[in-house]
Amino acid sequence: MGSLDAVHKTLAEEGFLATRLDTFVNWGRKNSLWPMPLGLSCCGIEMMAMVGPRYDIARFGAEALRFSPRQADLLIVAGTLTWKMAEVARTIYDQMPDPKWVISMGVCASTGGMYDTYSVVQGVDMILPVDIYVPGCPPRPDAVIDGMLKLQKRIELERPVKNLMEDRSADNEWIEGHGEMIRQENQAVPQHDPSAGVASDESR
Amino acid sequence: MNDQSSTTERVSCGLTGQKYETLESRDGMLTLRVEITEARALLLALHKECAFEINTLVTAVDHGIEREDEDKPRFDMIWQFQSVSHADRIRIHSWAKSQEPVAPSIADLWSGATYGERECFDMFGVIFEGHEGLKRLLMPEAYDHFPLRKDFPHQGIEPDRLYKAWDRERRQEEGGEA
Amino acid sequence: MSPEDSKLAADTIEYRPGQMAEPADHDDPLHGAQVELNIGPSHPATHGVLRLKVLADGEVLTRIEPVIGYLHRGKEKACESLGWRKFFVHTDRLDYLQPMLNNVGYAMALEKLAHLEVPERAQVIRVLMMETNRIMSHLIALGVSAMDLGAISMFFFTFDQREKIYDLIDAYTGHRMNNTYIRMGGVYADLEEELERHFSAFFDNFIEQVDEWESLLTGNRIWYERNRGIGAITAEQALSWGLTGPNLRGSGVAYDLRKSEPYCGYEDYDFEIPIGERGDAFDRYLVRIEELRQSARICTQALERLKSSRGANVIADDRRYVLPRLSDVTSSMEELIHQFKIVTDMSLPRGEAYMGVESSKGELGFYIASDGTAAPLRCHLRSPSLMNVQVIPFLAEGKLLSDVVAVLGSVDFVMGEVDR
Repeated sequence: MGSLDAVHKTLAEEGFLATRLDTFVNWGRKNSLWPMPLGLSCCGIEMMAMVGPRYDIARFGAEALRFSPRQADLLIVAGTLTWKMAEVARTIYDQMPDPKWVISMGVCASTGGMYDTYSVVQGVDMILPVDIYVPGCPPRPDAVIDGMLKLQKRIELERPVKNLMEDRSADNEWIEGHGEMIRQENQAVPQHDPSAGVASDESR
Repeated sequence: MNDQSSTTERVSCGLTGQKYETLESRDGMLTLRVEITEARALLLALHKECAFEINTLVTAVDHGIEREDEDKPRFDMIWQFQSVSHADRIRIHSWAKSQEPVAPSIADLWSGATYGERECFDMFGVIFEGHEGLKRLLMPEAYDHFPLRKDFPHQGIEPDRLYKAWDRERRQEEGGEA
Repeated sequence: MSPEDSKLAADTIEYRPGQMAEPADHDDPLHGAQVELNIGPSHPATHGVLRLKVLADGEVLTRIEPVIGYLHRGKEKACESLGWRKFFVHTDRLDYLQPMLNNVGYAMALEKLAHLEVPERAQVIRVLMMETNRIMSHLIALGVSAMDLGAISMFFFTFDQREKIYDLIDAYTGHRMNNTYIRMGGVYADLEEELERHFSAFFDNFIEQVDEWESLLTGNRIWYERNRGIGAITAEQALSWGLTGPNLRGSGVAYDLRKSEPYCGYEDYDFEIPIGERGDAFDRYLVRIEELRQSARICTQALERLKSSRGANVIADDRRYVLPRLSDVTSSMEELIHQFKIVTDMSLPRGEAYMGVESSKGELGFYIASDGTAAPLRCHLRSPSLMNVQVIPFLAEGKLLSDVVAVLGSVDFVMGEVDR
């Protein structure tokens, strides 16, 4: 929104109150993410280090780790997801209340990584929508914190009130199997899909 | 490391009357080969007479799909034991002579072999006779393949089949509620 | 409570994660009724993706069945398809609390099969790394088991020390975890003199830290009551269940592969094997605490030895298995071809070998069988964590639900190694 025209346009379309309210709601949401740590393997240890004394994610308001999905709004999938575990992960995701976001931590969760074997899911995006991918094997805690900050920026761009007013929940629906689609066609995710995964969000 | 000669002496005392042959091993461990029909008796003697307290591993080696006949069996069973009191080890080999391999269970002698046998069943399809509750350990129970057999591809055969079935059911339930 | 509400689940309901029990008809619901519960696979007390199917009679768990395989990544199959060298990276992720210790175990199995000698300095570096990794693993075991029983500050104390070790390992290898720095025939690179000093400085203060933690836990009434007499196992039972390492030593058996089958020159180090008496959770905790001190002692001795061997070779000079130097590869065609040959098809002699090393959980064994080609015929990983999980029903059946948490913490397993 560089020029003043854009501001007028936004105000005309959405109204001053809705935009202000969106900002307020997003401010609240992004600064109090409650992560549900799905620590599956090695990355789980680095996730513990992230909570630990040195990296201390309390600085970013995300220290309230909830082991019950019903109390969490951020799912951190940390580690290798197997097909046997996939049912559990999907159930956990389904049990989380909206709005919810997903961070895929580590290459195993993002693409299957080095485990191109008979039992490993080749990317958690085959079963869940993912917002942020954090690379690394395992990623250093700083990298995950960076991913979390990127997610906060992304949450700022959401329009919760406007979606509520216009009932645009359909826009938030995840495209079935889009993870496979990305891999197979190697093309960008459609721009209008807010829950589709992209690594960098600054372009929006 | 293991002093093979003292172990040989000790074991040969305990295994009098058993039929086995001694194999050469590259790592200096005493290695015996027995017929699969006599394996149980030999393992029993190892447990009773030779003070091998710990079952280190139970596993198999698949020598490939092309080896099928009696002379060239496909699956080689391996048991390995260690003795804490004598600080030595022994390894037992035995050919399981068919495409559906069968081996004697030792879970009643060494409780620690229970999961090893279940894993071996899970990965190779070896049936352990006398093992109560022999079922898959690592793969889901409804899985149809034996992953460590040589004819099973590295990337699996329809790895997501069970998940897809579960997912379909889940969607139907969700649809039914709504 | 109406009779309908109190009708509890019958014994035979098949459970699936995320679903509640469907009440079944039961004649006498209040007496002897058992509820089937599901702990895990995503539960903070199970330390990973372990799932326990339990049958609970009130607070007492009458039957426990561990369900594993939620992290089965097919490592043994991967080894058969990747070949000898490329499997090194997979060994780190076996027991990811002690990556280098797993590396050493696998490297030594290969060296045993190939009859390859490792230079003295490399062995000392390996010992230093193994003991540092053992400390890291015990720190997690200590911090997490204490956290499960309510002592959350222990988790922060131990993680603080772990971060310091991470810094040292990071400076040496370039990554905090999953370093893959051990090679067949030695280690990838030498330890620098300055880094040796940093290691020394860390171990000088470390024992004080251990004393401080002990003063928090060992005499603590709550910690004592929660652990003493819980999950007790006798020496014979522990042997029969295949337990090794601290769990076996907690039952009073002074068996340690570093003493009984010394490798990497452990026979020249001065250290003791702590043992327990009763084999319960408290004894296992005491053994681990003492092992932290002994490991620090070994590390100090190893650092002393490194001083006298500076500049020596850290990888064997054997062209069959060891990569040529990078400077030679970039300047000579023959060396480049040689490197290519080793990376693509390095083969080991026909035969089989087993190497067991004393890991922080017990005996970590690598059984490898070779048919003389570039890929193994079979690589079996003898996992101590699998044995530790296997014994859980034996230790915890008939105990209270809260005691199961103490048992889980005290047997110490890592799911990456259980499921492989």
